Amino acid sequence: MRHVAILLSLLVVGSGLVLGAKTLTIIMEEVPDTDVIRELIPEFEAQNPDLKIVIDAMPYEAMRDKILTEFLAPVSSYDIVIVDNPWTDEFAAGGFLVDLTDRVMALEGYDFEDFAKPIRDIGVYKGRIFGLPFYNYALAMIVRQDVFDEAGIPIPTNIADYVKACRQLTNKEEGFYGAAMQAKRGYKIFEEGKNYMYALGADVFDEEGNIVINSHLAKAALHLYIANLEAAAPKGAVNWGFDEAFRLMAAGKAATMITYNWMLPSLNNPEKTGELAGKFSFYEVPGGKAVLGAWYWSIPHNAADIEASWRFISWVTSKAVEKERVILGGAPVRMSVLTDPEVWEKGYGKQYYLTLVKILEDAEPLVRGLHAEEVIETIGLEMNNAAAGIKTVDQALDDAAKAVAEILGG
Amino acid sequence: MTRKGLHAVMIHGLLFLALIVVVFPYFWMLLTSIKPYWLITAPNVWIFRPVLDNWREVLFESKLPLYLLNSLIVGGIVSVISVGVGSLAAYSFSRFNTGGTPARFAILAAQMLPPVVLVISIFLMMYHLRLLKTYAGIIVAHLSFILPLVTWFLIGFFDEVPRELEEQAMVDGYTRFQAFYKVGLPNVRAGAAAAGCFWFVLSWNDFFYALILTGGPTKTLPVAVAGFWTFRGIEMGQMAAAIIVAIVPVVTASFFVQKHLVKGLGGGVKY
Amino acid sequence: MVIPLLLMLLAVLVYPMGSSLWVSFENYRLTALHARHFVGLANYAKIPRDARFWNAMGNTLVFVSTAVFLEFVLGFALALLLHRRVRMRNFFRSVLLTPMFITPVAVGLIFRFMLNSEFGIIPYILKTIGIEVDFFATSPLALFSIVFIDVWQWTPFMMLLLLAGLESLPREPFEAARVDGASAWFTFRRVTFPLMRPVIVVAVIIRMLDAFKVFEYLYVITRGGPGNSTESIMYYIYRVGFRFFRMGEAAAMSYVLALIILLLVFLEFQLLRRARST
Repeated sequence: MRHVAILLSLLVVGSGLVLGAKTLTIIMEEVPDTDVIRELIPEFEAQNPDLKIVIDAMPYEAMRDKILTEFLAPVSSYDIVIVDNPWTDEFAAGGFLVDLTDRVMALEGYDFEDFAKPIRDIGVYKGRIFGLPFYNYALAMIVRQDVFDEAGIPIPTNIADYVKACRQLTNKEEGFYGAAMQAKRGYKIFEEGKNYMYALGADVFDEEGNIVINSHLAKAALHLYIANLEAAAPKGAVNWGFDEAFRLMAAGKAATMITYNWMLPSLNNPEKTGELAGKFSFYEVPGGKAVLGAWYWSIPHNAADIEASWRFISWVTSKAVEKERVILGGAPVRMSVLTDPEVWEKGYGKQYYLTLVKILEDAEPLVRGLHAEEVIETIGLEMNNAAAGIKTVDQALDDAAKAVAEILGG
Repeated sequence: MTRKGLHAVMIHGLLFLALIVVVFPYFWMLLTSIKPYWLITAPNVWIFRPVLDNWREVLFESKLPLYLLNSLIVGGIVSVISVGVGSLAAYSFSRFNTGGTPARFAILAAQMLPPVVLVISIFLMMYHLRLLKTYAGIIVAHLSFILPLVTWFLIGFFDEVPRELEEQAMVDGYTRFQAFYKVGLPNVRAGAAAAGCFWFVLSWNDFFYALILTGGPTKTLPVAVAGFWTFRGIEMGQMAAAIIVAIVPVVTASFFVQKHLVKGLGGGVKY
Repeated sequence: MVIPLLLMLLAVLVYPMGSSLWVSFENYRLTALHARHFVGLANYAKIPRDARFWNAMGNTLVFVSTAVFLEFVLGFALALLLHRRVRMRNFFRSVLLTPMFITPVAVGLIFRFMLNSEFGIIPYILKTIGIEVDFFATSPLALFSIVFIDVWQWTPFMMLLLLAGLESLPREPFEAARVDGASAWFTFRRVTFPLMRPVIVVAVIIRMLDAFKVFEYLYVITRGGPGNSTESIMYYIYRVGFRFFRMGEAAAMSYVLALIILLLVFLEFQLLRRARST
């Protein structure tokens, strides 16, 4: 009887200890950086024994829809959410995210300015901080270094040379293409095509906020994009998304691909590309200015325990932990980490990070502000219309300008 | 060859053709699940060194078997409840003409509204009832669009069974319910079995409601399979393995359901 | 007897339906909840001028009519074949039913890979016999490629329903026809088909209702492209509601859609009634 009593009391105490630990649930996308976070969690839990972290990872679309629905509940199931750059302004304006400004300012040694400027700006809405940078997905040009070297072609630094090089390297009979392009309607084509626009100095809005998506420069850029699509990309590319293009590269059938900078290690991984591993390099996109994407840590306004959530996100984005994360393979967001020799040594090498510094300096997101998502979709639709030959370039971009005006005005 | 023989060959031939069309994607999936990553996109490569990582990950490392079980449980319960309530209601609509023709259309109304519009209200409702991430929540959500459809479907079958049979039974002393149970129901067995398959399928395949209303350990199969669509690309190898894993119990189950359908034959109407 | 059903339906349907109906009369924007207010029929008024809505509606109608027709014809043929005492009937039936049990998201992704013009196995095989097809790059082929996928997945379903119908038909009319020496075609046209009519109508309506909801294939393969050629009405409403956060408009569109479908179902029933009386 005594033994039973002891056992029971041990159980009670034990369960009390376990029950005492609070669980923080994070909703994340299933990306390489998620795996890195998983590796860091035990460290956090060791330093904060009263907290347990659980990650709910899922595909992009699914995550979006779930986050949105959860904002509407009295208490969110997720204590921490990660937010994509087109949504930050909208969610902040809708009152869905906690204002982190005071906490950030009060945290000693945090150094908010250390985050690369284009990235940290996105998390700021009307001067208040709503999101802490998690990782970047700025675009870079990934190339088959061996193919370029063999053909004696220098790595292109402007868009005209790029299109020329792609055409030169294409050999359709043999099934080798100069560019693995992603002209899928909507986000994808805009994400890829805007780099061409940046290269020529075009944009969606000008400094005063006028709509210039149908400027001569933008139209010229789209013409170039479509020319490349026809000459140097596989036939079906007008419907290709990331997967198809990536697989083409991985199968060794393409010379270049404009995609997320941290895809490089994946391509150089023998498990993914067999014999081709090691032959890929990356550079700034031709023209030097890239499309920027990034994810942010945010706390839902209806989270159960905001302080606990804050503890985690401030920890994971602190200088020390950020450095660890990048060494483990995460995509960097802090300048101090990008220029740290220890990171160079333990990570992917000096060249890699210095190229990233150049990329992040002037990268810019697709669209900001309210209705960003809708504007992106609309422009992407029209660009795809032009790429598929359904509309002329002029008509497509003029329609895009009209639609954008309607979205923002109506 | 006799005419009958030729006949048989033709029939078998056509069936085999259909079989090939159906099975070919499975064959491709099997191949894909054992190919190394970079060969999945090389259709002309048939001879290679098979790689078992995908199977290992799907069977042992992912929680797929659990999600499979969840889908089975949810689908099973939805089917059972639909049979019970649906056949009763269908019988009533058929025999008593409850609500007349408008009612028969009205019950289809739920089927016509897209989940997108209803999901937020259902979500909030489930939240307040504390049914989020539980089996009960998703079962109820599925019933909301399956039950009316199934009822409506069975009405047609009950309509075909002559009323005289039950009236005869009731004259002989059966209550209305017994007449339903012993006379009406057995005669729609074939239809009920077919419907059983199909409402199970509706529940089994549902993606959107499951996405919003389940999570963690109660995730269902479609959501789990979609989870192989990661940011680093569609993990086709693993997804192929997962799908094959998911089909096996279903094929076995449908094999048994076939027998039931066959039994529903033979002799037509009974009493 | 209807009480259990009614109670259950009431509980689960009335609140969401009522709530979404109310939302359709507001300018409900998910990310601007504090600004929501009653706007009467404004959302509905936008619909006649909304070219995207009607384009999606058109695409969907083409899709539904083609897909359901093909599924009906093929499903009926298969059902007739399997109705006889064929050897290995159970085996055929079990295997032929399986496509409908694979979650549509997965089916979409599988075909996205299999039909890919660069590394898909089907274009590859076609190339060896000299046909070059790009399934998703041009309209209207893209839409019909989606029809093809739907037919692959759902013909078994039609087959199942029609087979169940065939097997619950009474024997006497067939005996009589055989005794009278009727040919197979005659039997089919004058006996089988008319007797099957109620089941056919039901099967077609059910499949039609489901086909109207085509969404997953587009979600994972085309996103509605190229251009707008494969944007279905469900996909469009999803985008307006969940991607652009304009829930009020999405709700209004849903109700208009429901009315249109109701009309179609009603018409089908009228057809049945008229045929029956001849």
